[in-house]
Amino acid sequence: MNDKRTTLKLLAGATVAALAFGSAPAMAQAKQKVSLMLNWYLYSEHAPFFLGKERGYFDAEGIDLDIQEGRGSGPTIQAVAAKSVDFGYADVGTMIKVGAKGAPVKAIGVALQKSPMSVMGLSEKNIRKPEDIKGKTVAVTPGDSMSQIWPLFLKKTGLKEGDFKTVAGDAQTKLNSVINGQADLLLGYLMDQNIKIQDATKKPVTVIPFADYGVNMVVSGIIANKDVLKDKPDLAKRFMRAATKAFEDAEKSPEAAVDAMLKANAKAGVRDSLIVGLKLTTPLYHTPETAKNRPFRVAPKDMNESFTMLLEYGGLDKSAGKVEDYYTNEFLP
Amino acid sequence: MNKLLNSQWLRPFIMIIMLLVLWDLAIRFFKVPAYLIPPPDKVVGQLIAEWPRLLKESSLTTYATLGGFALSILFGVPVAMLIAYSRLVESYVYPLLVFSQSIPKIAIAPLFVVWFGFGIIPKVICAFLLGFFPVVVSTVMGFKSIEPEMIDLARSMGSTRWQMFYKISLPQALPSMFSGFKVSITLAVVGAVVGEFVGSNSGIGYVLQIANGNFDLPLMFAALVVLSLIGVILFVVIDAIEKMMIPWHPSYRNEFHASA
Repeated sequence: MNDKRTTLKLLAGATVAALAFGSAPAMAQAKQKVSLMLNWYLYSEHAPFFLGKERGYFDAEGIDLDIQEGRGSGPTIQAVAAKSVDFGYADVGTMIKVGAKGAPVKAIGVALQKSPMSVMGLSEKNIRKPEDIKGKTVAVTPGDSMSQIWPLFLKKTGLKEGDFKTVAGDAQTKLNSVINGQADLLLGYLMDQNIKIQDATKKPVTVIPFADYGVNMVVSGIIANKDVLKDKPDLAKRFMRAATKAFEDAEKSPEAAVDAMLKANAKAGVRDSLIVGLKLTTPLYHTPETAKNRPFRVAPKDMNESFTMLLEYGGLDKSAGKVEDYYTNEFLP
Repeated sequence: MNKLLNSQWLRPFIMIIMLLVLWDLAIRFFKVPAYLIPPPDKVVGQLIAEWPRLLKESSLTTYATLGGFALSILFGVPVAMLIAYSRLVESYVYPLLVFSQSIPKIAIAPLFVVWFGFGIIPKVICAFLLGFFPVVVSTVMGFKSIEPEMIDLARSMGSTRWQMFYKISLPQALPSMFSGFKVSITLAVVGAVVGEFVGSNSGIGYVLQIANGNFDLPLMFAALVVLSLIGVILFVVIDAIEKMMIPWHPSYRNEFHASA
């Protein structure tokens, strides 16, 4: 008896609700669920997406954006290739390698066009220029993009493998070894490991960016599935329109971007460190070639350089084809 | 032909070939692209091409595994015997052991590199931590499941403590201990690779890292095959030792009759 009454009430309620919503114009234009998978757990670099969400740029394009954390660029790109997610935010170099193996993926916007790759150590070790690396110990992660480009940096700066000692370990070991003094330097990103070392040791860190010595490589970008680009070019255009606005805003007010990310996920990190990180990240949105461009619009020259570097040092197969197969600016505003 | 099919040692290989065929068919049938799962012929090709390197790296992984396994026995068996014979030790130590086992090793592995450097020691310790627990659990069980009547009988006949241990307790505990050793050695392989992952210039864990970075899935799978082979070979060796030490056990008795 009681059950029946409840059912009736529910039915009545549902009818009222349906009537109310049915009359609203929002019903006619339902927002599209779109998923973006990041390259890693949340850190400063990801804040602009949250700013764009908070300021309604994605909503305005009819996109209900779902931001998912990732576990490395490789798996994120695989997820895009398998259409498990709509877009990915991942390392473009890695994407080219996966693409060369037959994955139908393409970069439709390159966020970090200047390379954050660096070799860094505590300032008290007095390592300020490449020659100072001689006789020191460098921590690397075997197989990652930095360790692959490292030989080119050595060549450009006149160093040889035998000039220093190398220790190898995963991302955490690399950090630990510099913090604990087992290594003097590590290969890392200039908006990532240096902040972590500084936070842990309370000592300043000196960074030697690869880009300062003519070794530049594009890094993170928006990755999409080629089939999706063919079927829904409009979605890619709308997504990039919103993302471009979001990244422009983040360049102007990194604090607001970090706050937006922390509001969405309080565990993303320490506010001050995230702001420092993002302030180091936004200058990487442009190279001298693209200084006047809006974010994401990469220069063919920069892409070509990166592609050549991948062929020569990054283990990319010679059958990989042309760089134009792997990126496009046509979906950008 | 029939005789060949029936020989014991050939059966696992037939199974492997069947699995390879199934793998290949599944990839063709479901059109799984090579960047998600590599086709078996590519993996086998990479396995052959990289064999010298894989062999060299796997020997390093095997050392670390054996080191960790030896430590597991050296520490595990005495601790287990203390637990089995003393209620006091059991109540103090056993819960702590179980507690320690629930700590994910991959989370603390980076610390071993900090404490013990980049040499072989952190890998041995990782292998030991994974291999230790099954040895303890099965040895405790082995020594606890000895029939008290047997002990009473031996005592009534005036045997010494040492005789009771050597002639009754140990032989009765061995089957259970060996089942623990077999679990332990396969886990020790995993532990050694975890150790190599967090900090190493060599070993199968290092090959896996490189393959991962280059997106070389066939090499990655080939390294995994080699890793499994290490586990299988070590398992077989322990199985053979077990056979020598407890030929009277029911699990071996049948074979005994057949060959006699």
